[in-house]
Amino acid sequence: MTMIEFQDVSAGYSRNFRVLEEISFHIGKGEFVFLTGPSGSGKSTLLRLIYHELIPQAGELTVADFSSNRIKRRKIPYLRRKLGVVFQDFSLLENRTSAENVAFALEVTGASRSFIRSRLSRVFAQLGLTGKENCFPHELSGGEQQRVAIARALVGEPFILIADEPTGNLDPAISMEILRLMIEINTLGTAVLLASHDYSLLKGKDDFRRLHLSDGRLVYDGPNGKFAPVPEH
Amino acid sequence: MLRAVKEAILGFTRAKTMSFFAVLATSFSLLVLGLFTLALLNLNALIRYFENKVEIVVYLQDNADQGLVGLALEDLSGLEGVRQVRYVSKEKALENFRTDLGPDSDLLQDLETNPVPASFNITMKPGYRDTLHVKLVADQAQALTFVEEVDYGREWLRRIDIFKHVVSVVGASVGALLGLVAVILISSAIKIAVFSRRKEIFIMKIVGATNGYIRRSFLLEGFFKGALGGLLAAGMVFSVSELFSRKIMPITSFSDRYYLYTLMAGALMGLVGSWISLGRYLRRI
Repeated sequence: MTMIEFQDVSAGYSRNFRVLEEISFHIGKGEFVFLTGPSGSGKSTLLRLIYHELIPQAGELTVADFSSNRIKRRKIPYLRRKLGVVFQDFSLLENRTSAENVAFALEVTGASRSFIRSRLSRVFAQLGLTGKENCFPHELSGGEQQRVAIARALVGEPFILIADEPTGNLDPAISMEILRLMIEINTLGTAVLLASHDYSLLKGKDDFRRLHLSDGRLVYDGPNGKFAPVPEH
Repeated sequence: MLRAVKEAILGFTRAKTMSFFAVLATSFSLLVLGLFTLALLNLNALIRYFENKVEIVVYLQDNADQGLVGLALEDLSGLEGVRQVRYVSKEKALENFRTDLGPDSDLLQDLETNPVPASFNITMKPGYRDTLHVKLVADQAQALTFVEEVDYGREWLRRIDIFKHVVSVVGASVGALLGLVAVILISSAIKIAVFSRRKEIFIMKIVGATNGYIRRSFLLEGFFKGALGGLLAAGMVFSVSELFSRKIMPITSFSDRYYLYTLMAGALMGLVGSWISLGRYLRRI
């Protein structure tokens, strides 16, 4: 079952300057996909397209039931509620506790207080954050902050977790822990799209699917173990 | 809705510095505007006080025909802007003079004839107590054959006119300028407050908040902050006005309604300012 589908999608930030050229691929339900490529190759732009901070200039992008060609602006928030997004800088609100940061994602959807409370305790337990509910971001380590950010992304039960360089600000040991956590989340049924240029994350993950971007083009889509990049031109 | 109100109040404590700045800007602007309006109000009260003293005194010849005097009194009463024409007979005038002199009234004891002329004392309706209208009436009276002299404090009236003109021009221009400065100051403070929370807006969007939700929470906060600023300003204007009245000299103070308006102006500015500042963040998807 296809959850995300790119069909000849081209995109950029102005008419004359395209960051992505004719991208086509799809992600099925519950898949785990690495998105790799050097800085500036268009990884973040591709993720932005998925959460519709950017609209394709050409081609069609389908996310769940929403098509980029037909979606109305006011429907975009409802699309985003089906996604969980994690960033390199964690993007937590400094003046809220970790529980408040996570609850925030449900509050904006108008969820009831009791529902929020039950989801909160489950997701905190799942991410090993029990006991950290009342800590402010600055009281947490980088790894803990990223886990809070992942909790916020997961609390709404998205079908896919989208991570943009989630380990970029973390040391290698913590990075591996975050990756392990994401794989665990994936085994519970949530698809994961993990963008990174930190190739050490991919070591030993030969069976994982890997998409590789180079200069705005998708140059590889296959198992990580068989990855052989097309020579750069 | 309850949660939104709670969030709005918590917003104060969360973005402390920027909230404080926005509230301060609002209350300071409204305070300056309030004090300026208070000064203007008192200047106008002063002008009205002097204008109330404007009176046209028409001195009549001693041999004036009483029938004609009666007709003239009716005619003058019917002129535009005239409030009242009071006839003061020679006898009454002498009596008034005597009262004015007080203990020195003995001086008038030996008079064989009454030297004080009879007169019409004309008062004008409010809004007609200026040189133009007063002179029109005075000229009409002067034209009567049995009139000796007309006195209406020409020089005095001219000064009031100029003063009034200066007060209205300076009041309007400085008031407009202060109003503009207030709007600019308050809107930039709100703009900065909203800008300081752009990360929050971004996160709200990413987790799927609708524009309506984001707008609601920011507008509510802007409304409360503006109202708080207005309340502070109203309190300070009230204190200044009371203190001045008690310690220096009694002045005309604002009616209660003015303080309500200040509060409402603050709240409205907070609301509109937030709406405008938020616009550019919400237009982006």
